[in-house]
Amino acid sequence: MAVAIAVKIRFFARLRELAGVENEALQVAPGSTLRDVYAALRDRHGALPSLEGVRGAVNQEFAGWDDPISNGDEVAFIPPVSGGAR
Amino acid sequence: MRYDVQTDPIDARELEAAVSHSGAGAICTFSGIVRDSSRGQTVTHLDYEAYAEMAVPQMRKIGQEIKDRWPEARVAMAHRTGHLEIGEVSVVVSVSCPHRAEAFEACRWGIDRLKESVPIWKKEHAEDGTFWIEGEEAKPAGNAG
Repeated sequence: MAVAIAVKIRFFARLRELAGVENEALQVAPGSTLRDVYAALRDRHGALPSLEGVRGAVNQEFAGWDDPISNGDEVAFIPPVSGGAR
Repeated sequence: MRYDVQTDPIDARELEAAVSHSGAGAICTFSGIVRDSSRGQTVTHLDYEAYAEMAVPQMRKIGQEIKDRWPEARVAMAHRTGHLEIGEVSVVVSVSCPHRAEAFEACRWGIDRLKESVPIWKKEHAEDGTFWIEGEEAKPAGNAG
């Protein structure tokens, strides 16, 4: 069994500015969830906000915080979209 | 069906041409335009940033939602990214249907869903500073870009 899985991280918009990077490579333990990945990134980038108000996407699809992450996944963290109700 | 995220100006007539056919008695087109004020402040220009590899599939998904509800609809969507001046077109949704009632409804569905689920962000440059617009909230932007 692999000791770590490698994921490709992407940040967008305000989260990109707060992280100070657009892309990065991260290694996490097998069985990690999206929540675990974000927690590891917050350890690295202290300016990242808590996960309320952040959405995660795995391989270009919105994902839940408890969804498992696989080796080679592209994981993106994105703020609410510009939308607005009007 | 046509879905684009583009830096070039959007021509709404091209999207209408893409959904036009002999059975389409109605084409409804929504154009979103960069406006000169927001939050009571004067806006000078906008920057839009997209997660393009995800935005286009999300648009395609919304097109499918429209087809599920209005099977005769044809849909085209385009969103600009990059620097936009006041008065420029930021987004267009065009829907054709046999009749106008469903064309209006399907177009409204399309733009509302696009605004909530397509990963594109607006950075507003205003007289009181630069802000990322996240739904109803405006959050100060950094200097990095």
